[in-house]
Amino acid sequence: MTETLRLAVVLAAKDLRVERRSRTALVSAVVFAALVLVIFNFARDPATVTAKMLAPSVLWVTFTFASMLTFNRAFSLEKENAAIDGLLLSPMPRGALFLGKYLANLAFVGTVQAVTLPLFVLFFNVGLGQALGGLLLTIVLATIGFVAIGTVFSAMVVRTRFADLMLPMLLLPFLVPPVMGAVAVTTRLLSGRPLSEQMAWLRFLGVYDVVFLTICAMVFPAIFDE
Amino acid sequence: MGIETPDNGSYMVAAYVVVCVVVVGYALSLWRRSRQ
Amino acid sequence: MIPTLDDAHATIRRGLLITALALAGVGAVIVMALWMTPTEVRQGLAQKIFYLHAPSAWAGLLAFSLTGITGGLYLWLRDPRLDLFSEASAEVGLVFGVIVLTTGPIWGKPIWGTWWTWDARLTLTLFLFFLFVGYMALRNALSDPAERARFSAVVGILGLLLVPFVHLSVYMFRTLHPQPVLLKPSAPSMDPRMLRTLLTSVGVFTLLYIGFVTTRYGLSLRREARGVADGD
Repeated sequence: MTETLRLAVVLAAKDLRVERRSRTALVSAVVFAALVLVIFNFARDPATVTAKMLAPSVLWVTFTFASMLTFNRAFSLEKENAAIDGLLLSPMPRGALFLGKYLANLAFVGTVQAVTLPLFVLFFNVGLGQALGGLLLTIVLATIGFVAIGTVFSAMVVRTRFADLMLPMLLLPFLVPPVMGAVAVTTRLLSGRPLSEQMAWLRFLGVYDVVFLTICAMVFPAIFDE
Repeated sequence: MGIETPDNGSYMVAAYVVVCVVVVGYALSLWRRSRQ
Repeated sequence: MIPTLDDAHATIRRGLLITALALAGVGAVIVMALWMTPTEVRQGLAQKIFYLHAPSAWAGLLAFSLTGITGGLYLWLRDPRLDLFSEASAEVGLVFGVIVLTTGPIWGKPIWGTWWTWDARLTLTLFLFFLFVGYMALRNALSDPAERARFSAVVGILGLLLVPFVHLSVYMFRTLHPQPVLLKPSAPSMDPRMLRTLLTSVGVFTLLYIGFVTTRYGLSLRREARGVADGD
């Protein structure tokens, strides 16, 4: 178990190192997120719809779309020069492969979110104040589960011809429950309601995370066995 | 009785036609594929 | 276990026979619904859409559940026939999905006053439909049969697990859909003739699912058998 974890961290560190040297995926995802925020701001009539009314939905649509952009990176990276075969031939267990890719994806999505959130506060003139802690907790809970599903699906769609189209098609239905919960909680937090009122949704997000993280770790090895 | 039964038979006919078209259409498509 | 061409042809014939029987049954249900069932006082004739809509929803849910379950069994047992059944069941599920998603709004317009609403079960049906469109698209985008079987099994299992979450999340918003009339613990509020028509229709649509899926499964078997015969 500790060995699996160690190998997973090694793999994730390798992915992050590759990204640090090329800076392609992260920069484009962050720029994309910023552009989406800007476009949303102009895709409303300021006279009828205030920025605050739209803010929670904008935040979550931006998060999910930008996150989805980073998922394909995980395995298309290994497709070049058939690097994936090297990974599969190495004595690394499949569990560690999943966990490593998952951790790297989590780091990417986390970074995109960390950049998007201040931009969102700036562009949409949202005062976070007391809500910040609760919002961060919501973001974490709504992200853990769907990144696991994204990791599994990106490992599969990379084998198809239309990977960039196939991934959102498969993944978006799975985003409905967490995004719904996250938007509901965010809306109430931003209007100054305490986090303790949102326990039902937070528990829902937590159960979603546990169920899908577990099942994704279980089915992931099946993607690669020949 | 104060309840008035609405006149919406055309919706019913439309739905029944749709169901027949879809069900018979798919059955025909299966049948045609089985002939190949 | 390699299916022979004869097995495949026998399966197709059996499937077509059951389908023909079920189609006659659909005709009988329509006759029953139109002429042997009283008209609901408040909803009028549009209420009779329910006798085809609800059983289709049942058949669609059955189809999608079996897609997920046989997908899971495939990952465990690795019998290619399980994957062929998954494929057949997903395609048939889409057919019932089309019926549910068209008859639903046609009923909703006169009764709710709107074609579409984001009610729990409607949303769930729509997302299941999208999910299985994605499932079929993924299948079509992969050429290696073993890879296709494994990947689609993964999507099928995850999709099955998604159902309760979508349902619960939309429910936590609010819901407009009529509560299940059959499973209500209090006295059934339905006229016995209405209940008889509904139950007959559920039986007929289940049979229709069996007929469709058997035929479609037979077609997949035949495709595999021909592939083997061609030395492919």
